[in-house]
Amino acid sequence: MSASVSAFKGRLSALCPAASPPLLRSSHLVRFPPVRFPPVRFPPGEARRSGSHTAANLPPLEGIRVLDLTRVLAGPFATMILGDLGAEVIKVERPGAGDDTRAWGPPFVGSESTYFLSINRNKKSIAVDLKHPKGTQIVQELAAVCDVLVENYIPGKLHQMSLGYEQLSRVNPQIIYCSISGYGQTGPQSQSPGYDSIASAVSGMMHITGPEDGDPVRPGVAMTDLATGLYAHGAIMAALLQRHKTERGVHIDCNLLSSQVSCISHIAANYLNAGKEARRWGTAHESIVPYQGFQTEDGHIVVAAGNDKQFVRVCQVLGLMELTENPEYKTNKLRVQNRKQLLHTLSQRFLQEKTAGWLKKFEGSGVPVGPINSIQEVFSDPQVKHNGLIQEMNHPTAGRITVPGPAVRFNSFLPAGPTPPPLIGQHTVQVLQETLSYSDDIIKMLLESRAVAQNSVS
Amino acid sequence: MRRTGLRCPNQSPIQVCPGRRTGTHHSANLPPLEGIRVLDLTRVLAGPFATMILGDLGAEVIKVERPGAGDDTRAWGPPFVGSESTYFLSINRNKKSIAVDLKHPKGTQIVQELAAVCDVLVENYIPGKLHQMSLGYEQLSRVNPQIIYCSISGYGQTGPQSQSPGYDSIASAVSGMMHITGPEDGDPVRPGVAMTDLATGLYAHGAIMAALLQRHKTERGVHIDCNLLSSQVSCISHIAANYLNAGKEARRWGTAHESIVPYQGFQTEDGHIVVAAGNDKQFVRVCQVLGLMELTENPEYKTNKLRVQNRKQLLHTLSQRFLQEKTAGWLKKFEGSGVPVGPINSIQEVFSDPQVKHNGLIQEMNHPTAGRITVPGPAVRFNSFLPAGPTPPPLIGQHTVQVLQETLSYSDDIIKMLLESRAVAQNSVS
Repeated sequence: MSASVSAFKGRLSALCPAASPPLLRSSHLVRFPPVRFPPVRFPPGEARRSGSHTAANLPPLEGIRVLDLTRVLAGPFATMILGDLGAEVIKVERPGAGDDTRAWGPPFVGSESTYFLSINRNKKSIAVDLKHPKGTQIVQELAAVCDVLVENYIPGKLHQMSLGYEQLSRVNPQIIYCSISGYGQTGPQSQSPGYDSIASAVSGMMHITGPEDGDPVRPGVAMTDLATGLYAHGAIMAALLQRHKTERGVHIDCNLLSSQVSCISHIAANYLNAGKEARRWGTAHESIVPYQGFQTEDGHIVVAAGNDKQFVRVCQVLGLMELTENPEYKTNKLRVQNRKQLLHTLSQRFLQEKTAGWLKKFEGSGVPVGPINSIQEVFSDPQVKHNGLIQEMNHPTAGRITVPGPAVRFNSFLPAGPTPPPLIGQHTVQVLQETLSYSDDIIKMLLESRAVAQNSVS
Repeated sequence: MRRTGLRCPNQSPIQVCPGRRTGTHHSANLPPLEGIRVLDLTRVLAGPFATMILGDLGAEVIKVERPGAGDDTRAWGPPFVGSESTYFLSINRNKKSIAVDLKHPKGTQIVQELAAVCDVLVENYIPGKLHQMSLGYEQLSRVNPQIIYCSISGYGQTGPQSQSPGYDSIASAVSGMMHITGPEDGDPVRPGVAMTDLATGLYAHGAIMAALLQRHKTERGVHIDCNLLSSQVSCISHIAANYLNAGKEARRWGTAHESIVPYQGFQTEDGHIVVAAGNDKQFVRVCQVLGLMELTENPEYKTNKLRVQNRKQLLHTLSQRFLQEKTAGWLKKFEGSGVPVGPINSIQEVFSDPQVKHNGLIQEMNHPTAGRITVPGPAVRFNSFLPAGPTPPPLIGQHTVQVLQETLSYSDDIIKMLLESRAVAQNSVS
């Protein structure tokens, strides 16, 4: 264990003497504290991640070190959440371009793509050439002092570089090694690279998404990648929990195909048990009417009238009470049977007023409704702001940046920082010094041999 | 019994006896959440999906349902298998069901007593509702300061929208997800399965385990706030960042990619195929396979940037060609080309895929009344354990008496009294 980690642990135990009073009195916990903007407890840029938390504000993963070999979306999304929860994340990138997504723009902010910025906060970047024997050695040494390793190489690739689970778990039997791939670590497709759009197609997700009478489309953001990242972050923590009991690590297999197929839950069960094939429904619901989006004068509104009482309210608000007299629309079952004509009538009416007008009319009606928000409208929504979903921070070259904030809040801690997404190789020297205790001479030699690279900004 | 388990290099699959969930695991096959007890007050999708994963990982999940109908989704069909909807079956394995009337004071008391002996409580009531029933975090953490209390809601525990009930379709609309999903020149649609609900469940399952980890250090529980709005807004990651940093509004792209061409679905003679040609070399390969080498000579298509600029005419040409052959034919032609391709599978095709079978995604089990049922299996595999069981999704109130006896040590007389007073109900099947 490096000197800095030992010192930190010493500081932490000084803060938490054995017989401390209850950390959190329940009378303080009636409600979540309103989020303060910007939610930064220390000046950005100076915010060191360790040592900034008292025992009463302890992030769950404080003290956990993650070696992040992932690139693009699924893996970085998972490690970002681990970082949000307090883990130290060391992102290993190839010198030069680094993670491909750094170049995925426009838009760029300075030299950084907004794509990269959106999913890489709270990480350090070290630039290491894995094709250089010294580079491989560095990763092996880091694996020896890390709790978690996350990777998304084609299965077998890292093994060829002596960085596979089998090899690293000999060095560190406690390592939690999470592999993310397209289709799984084994099996007929295991060697196919993972792409969200293809996994989305193969897993049935596209087949069920799109207009009723139109072609399949994919979700507008890579939900298959994201779901995989979410599964992975949970699995890693499950493995950390298991390690408390067994004192051993594990190898975890997360992949796009399995994640998405598991997520089509009831769609799958309909087929597996009743032979019922799925189809596309636009915004509509197969078995509830009216439960869908309607075009308005200036946009779209979604109405979710889940029962007969709510249908009557919809008719009230629309001023179409005659529909409630129509025997063909009395029950949900009947409305489903006669959906075409009913929906046509409702559609015509919705077109006559603006979205905001409809939202106002529906207030207090008890019918769930909501606008189909553009992204601008999303980030003007007061609840979105209240939930801390607009997270600002200072970036060393891009200046002030803004990213969507963490989705989950705990009453037991407010995230410190965050630290901004790193420049490529911004922390190479720092990590070699502090985590591996390399001497300055050795670091100099590694830089000169190009086994590693250090950004001019640190 | 050898299952299609994860095989890491030089590691043999662990052999496991099917059947009972507790006591069948040696330390070499220990599920991560063995010994953790979850009190599950959630209904519908996000919550049950999260608690199902916890059950898959070995936790004991006690699902509290109102007597009679229970979880609404039990009735969400057709299709049904016996009395159970396939919807309910798909997300409720590995749980016990107790039927408890929370409006009955004895019912509330039972839940309080269970909370005292549980590690985790998950709920998805409107914020404040459980507090009114003396089952809020504030009250239960006094009884059990170690309890991890995970609240799932539509919009959050506080704030202007906190009292609005959470519906996936509405959260999907409000969060921007629908705005960005749909055909290029058409109306927004929602993802064909409730991804907002599911993402929230996934966030929740992780957060609960983060809290369990934290508890090792602090010996205290926490209150967790998960909600549909935050989950989906966080998930629109780069779409959001484009707007927040560059003022760039998003739009719909069908299956296409805004900045890579060709990278989308194409209709074939009998279906659709997705092609992801991410660079110039792959574009040339696509032209080779399609027998359209003249396209590589066209200066307007030389680089990705040019192809993006001239996308309409290029995609039209490619589309026409793809229509001329069946999907299977194209897949064969693309084999070995290095271009990532895949069919847009129907659900039947998904479950005929050998990789899907290999990954254990077709999970069969016996259900006491529905007979043999099949559900999509767990997404994640660990080399350290093979899931035992699973136990089938429970009937409503199937385990009420068992839980009162074994978990709360109630006497038979008291149980009889509770049943008669209708504070609880027991299914005829146990």
